Amino acid sequence: MLGKNKRSVTAFLSGLVLTAVVYLAPGMVGDAIAAEAFAEQAFAEEAFAKEVLAEQPGLSAVDDGAPEIEWGQDVFYKDWEGNPLKGPVSGAPAPELGPTDYNNYEFAPSRMLIWVANQQHLYFGSFVLAVPIFCMIIEFIGVRTKRDDPIMSVKYDRLAHDLMKISLTAYSWTAILGGILLFTFITLFPGFFKYLAGIFRPVMHVYALMFLAESGVLYVYYYGWDRMSQDPFLKWIHCSLAVLLNLIGTILMYLANSWATFMQAPGGIDSEGRFLGNIWHVIHSTLWNPVGVHRILGNIVFGGGIVGAYAAYHYLTAKTEEDRAHYDWVCYVAMFICIFGLIPLPFAGYWLMKEVYAFRQQMGITLMGGIMAWLFIIQAVMIGLLFFAANSYLHNGMARVKGSHRYMKYCKYMVLLLIVCFTMWMTPHTIVMTPAELKLMGGAQHPIVGHFGVMSAKNTAVNLMITTTILCFILYQRANKKIMVPWATVGNCWIAAIFVGAAINIIFLGVYGYFLPANQRVGLSVPQVCTTLTTLFAGTAINISMFKDSESYGDIQWGSQSKVGTYAVFLLAISFTWLMGLMGYIRSSVRLFWHVTEVVRDNSVDAYTLTIGEAGKMLTFNTLFVWVQFVVVFWVGSLTGKKAPAEAPSGVPVPAQQQQ
Amino acid sequence: MLPEQHDILFSFLAIAFAIFGIFVFSNVIRECREREGINAKLWGAVFGAFAIVCFLMTVHMFGLVQADQLAFFFSIYLWVVLLLLFIWGVFYKSNKIESQSPPIIRGFFFWTTVSILLAGYTNWLPQQRSDPPPKEAAVIGDVTMEEFAEMGRVIIFGAKQVAGQKSIGKGQCPLCHTFDPGDHMGRCPNLFGVEERSHGRVKEDRYTNLPVKIGETEPASGIVKGKHDEMPEEYRRQHGPEEFIGEDYIRESLMCPTCYVVEGFGQDGDTRSPMPVIVKPPISLSRVEVNAIIAYLQSKDTPGEFSSVTVPLPQDDPGHTGGAVAEEPAADEDRPVFVTGNEDIQTMINTLGCPLCHTIPGIDGAVGELGPKLHEKINAPQRIKDPNYKGKATNTKEYVQESILSPGAYVVFDEVAGEPFPDGLMPTTFSQMLSVQALDKLVNFISQTEPPAGG
Repeated sequence: MLGKNKRSVTAFLSGLVLTAVVYLAPGMVGDAIAAEAFAEQAFAEEAFAKEVLAEQPGLSAVDDGAPEIEWGQDVFYKDWEGNPLKGPVSGAPAPELGPTDYNNYEFAPSRMLIWVANQQHLYFGSFVLAVPIFCMIIEFIGVRTKRDDPIMSVKYDRLAHDLMKISLTAYSWTAILGGILLFTFITLFPGFFKYLAGIFRPVMHVYALMFLAESGVLYVYYYGWDRMSQDPFLKWIHCSLAVLLNLIGTILMYLANSWATFMQAPGGIDSEGRFLGNIWHVIHSTLWNPVGVHRILGNIVFGGGIVGAYAAYHYLTAKTEEDRAHYDWVCYVAMFICIFGLIPLPFAGYWLMKEVYAFRQQMGITLMGGIMAWLFIIQAVMIGLLFFAANSYLHNGMARVKGSHRYMKYCKYMVLLLIVCFTMWMTPHTIVMTPAELKLMGGAQHPIVGHFGVMSAKNTAVNLMITTTILCFILYQRANKKIMVPWATVGNCWIAAIFVGAAINIIFLGVYGYFLPANQRVGLSVPQVCTTLTTLFAGTAINISMFKDSESYGDIQWGSQSKVGTYAVFLLAISFTWLMGLMGYIRSSVRLFWHVTEVVRDNSVDAYTLTIGEAGKMLTFNTLFVWVQFVVVFWVGSLTGKKAPAEAPSGVPVPAQQQQ
Repeated sequence: MLPEQHDILFSFLAIAFAIFGIFVFSNVIRECREREGINAKLWGAVFGAFAIVCFLMTVHMFGLVQADQLAFFFSIYLWVVLLLLFIWGVFYKSNKIESQSPPIIRGFFFWTTVSILLAGYTNWLPQQRSDPPPKEAAVIGDVTMEEFAEMGRVIIFGAKQVAGQKSIGKGQCPLCHTFDPGDHMGRCPNLFGVEERSHGRVKEDRYTNLPVKIGETEPASGIVKGKHDEMPEEYRRQHGPEEFIGEDYIRESLMCPTCYVVEGFGQDGDTRSPMPVIVKPPISLSRVEVNAIIAYLQSKDTPGEFSSVTVPLPQDDPGHTGGAVAEEPAADEDRPVFVTGNEDIQTMINTLGCPLCHTIPGIDGAVGELGPKLHEKINAPQRIKDPNYKGKATNTKEYVQESILSPGAYVVFDEVAGEPFPDGLMPTTFSQMLSVQALDKLVNFISQTEPPAGG
């Protein structure tokens, strides 16, 4: 798919799986890890023992003249009987913030400034955490393919090196933005910062030290690239440095996440905000793991979007055919990585929401059915945009594959289906109306269109959209292949049956949902999603199986991507950027008027929740502003001097489609 | 952003367009220098002028506040930029230059257009700003039971109700509960008939034993079940009979949701309620607020009839500590607007925001049309005589005062639209925003309003 032979494909997929295991597994199985469960138990027992000690005057430390231990009840953690866990009070109560705890400038509200500072830092942080993941995978593939295809190996290595070069500039930029964020926080919210710093004091120092370690490894990794490439052993050391770099980066992100997740769903403190002596409880609050996993996946998607847009731009400006072919290929690789991260992202999102509901159902309802509900409609629109862009890229990309004419005729029907589903997907449940309009329509929901505003219709629509995209990808995969296996007809019939059957099942379940009460209707989304996943796994598996002994209609014409396809990559990048800002805003603003949910109230003049329109403008500003910075960073990165062209590779990378 | 501040997005775009103007100018100059036969002076002057105009317009935008910035941007600046793009295209075409605008510019406009369309979409959706709830409701002076129950309604549903949209107040109850008969779509029990159920429920076996037994402490809330006299002191009932009554059950349900979980609405086998304890964060209702909600719940199924309400009014409640009930309005940082009565009438009315909705003769700028025109000298006597009028006023001043403090008492018919003005739009919080002196001053003024001569 990405290289010249099957080995590179295997290596690439192995790299992706390895990455998933290294980065996602620890978080995903967090609560299931026995060691952690044991630690919880040990802590609970210890706390219980202390409690008993404290309650028995004869055994209490008070009798010895030592200071009395005060015990507080944790706002989140519970013991084995379900009672709030007790811990020794080890910090001051949360302050009741007043006007003197907030500062502001005349030209903009403080919350907007902190939002901009935070979001810009997060965008860049996301990018610099994602790029080393790509580099690690791509470099690994380069090493693995060196023996069989030295030209491709060099190309992979150069691509990874070029990406790191960009990342290096972005890294410094991220640090500067982090400094700006810190100063903004300290100067505009001094009262709250003081409290947060009091709780997280050791974490902040560890964070700073980890940052130092990250910088050191990064510099050795980047500047040692050429020297360590000369010796196979040193090259493996270099690859190991990539793993180390990513591990440190992940720890950094998790540490920083703990501040945000503590603010949203605190643990390790009592209801007065007093620290209860266990820093791990403060860090490891209920949303810590899901947010961490969600962010890693989001970083991969976002990073893929940026690299894709970077390559797409260079594709448009390329002066030579070779450059065009190269950047077209890079764009494809980036999109592949991006979609790889995108597929599991919703599942991580569901996990996060599940934990939000488990923490406070009220918070979950505020998100999905309260004041934040409209923002999820916007999210739905953004997801629809992503599907359009991804399909558009595949449709246009198919045109450069010889043999694709057999399938191109289906594209228009797929687009039509996407439009219908997208329309259904974004139909609101209810809208704000005047009483006259309400009377005219006969109720809060339109008698016909209103049927499309409920979850039955929306689940159906989104599952059909995903299924269509999977079908599109399957057609793209086989576009230049002449299937030669003897069971080709049977295989095609199976694929057709799977997709037609899936569509029928999804639609049937959607319609059936209208005849069920709400609580039962919700359960139908599970078989719908399972149906969609079946098309993904079974359809792709059968499709790939049919490639055995296939003949090729010809090479992919790298460098012949249409402009529409290239702009589809831009659209993906914009959508990701905007969507990332939106979801970040939702996660943060669900705290409503709390700095730390239910513990530290936001008493500033900015404690209100923005209207959707105001938030939308800020999201657009953040999107545009960060991309201006990315352009500057890429430009600065390009100033470091271009290397002499490598030994002219005889050809551009050859995709899996043409493999014999 | 506050109205008097800049719009951050459009300020940014203004800067971007100014840079774009300069970029186009330099691009044209470069093209002219690279090619023979192009009238460099003409094109240089044209695009130089554009660059200067864009720069000046950007400077001008920084002198404007948010709304004016938007108006200027869309009415003038955007069109100038589009014209610049058009003339730029004319320059390329007329001089037969094939290499047209560089991808960075096309990318920029593509990026900007998509992003602004997204921002536009969010502004097209219903706009609702959520303000933080006050820490405690304030009650000025004595209130009637009707007003007290209304206070409970506002805590539950909020003051503003918008047609077609669920309205949620400080208590956040409608997030989960429904209130109308037959509406069983809620995540938590329908509260229609709760007053009646409150008397029988405490006698059920299920109440006696599940999930905790009467007399046991429910751990999450710390409340002793079924013992009204063991409630936390600041919420404890200090009136009425000794036994556990319906009012106590409702109060217990609010303060200890897990003390009794309605079948099918709990978690872990109906042993745990998902409902938050409403006297704790994030809702944190005070004694007065809890009592107001109980008053509302006890009376909501019998409109206008309050005999089933057993909670005392704040002024009669021996248990209230005065924290939430103020005879005189104190300086309260949570109260965003307060009028003392020392201001002139124009300032008072503007501060209260009346001109946003009402046309008020004698007040500059008071030309709002969302609510009825205030010609109360003529209108009030007629409305009191209206058969649909259910209020208690007997004269113009009483009617005006009632309209301010209880806007829902009489909903004026909009002759132009052919339907009543929307009920529930007018805030019911003016009692918290006015001193007695200010209310008198306002009532005196509005009682004298009449259509302008000739108008």
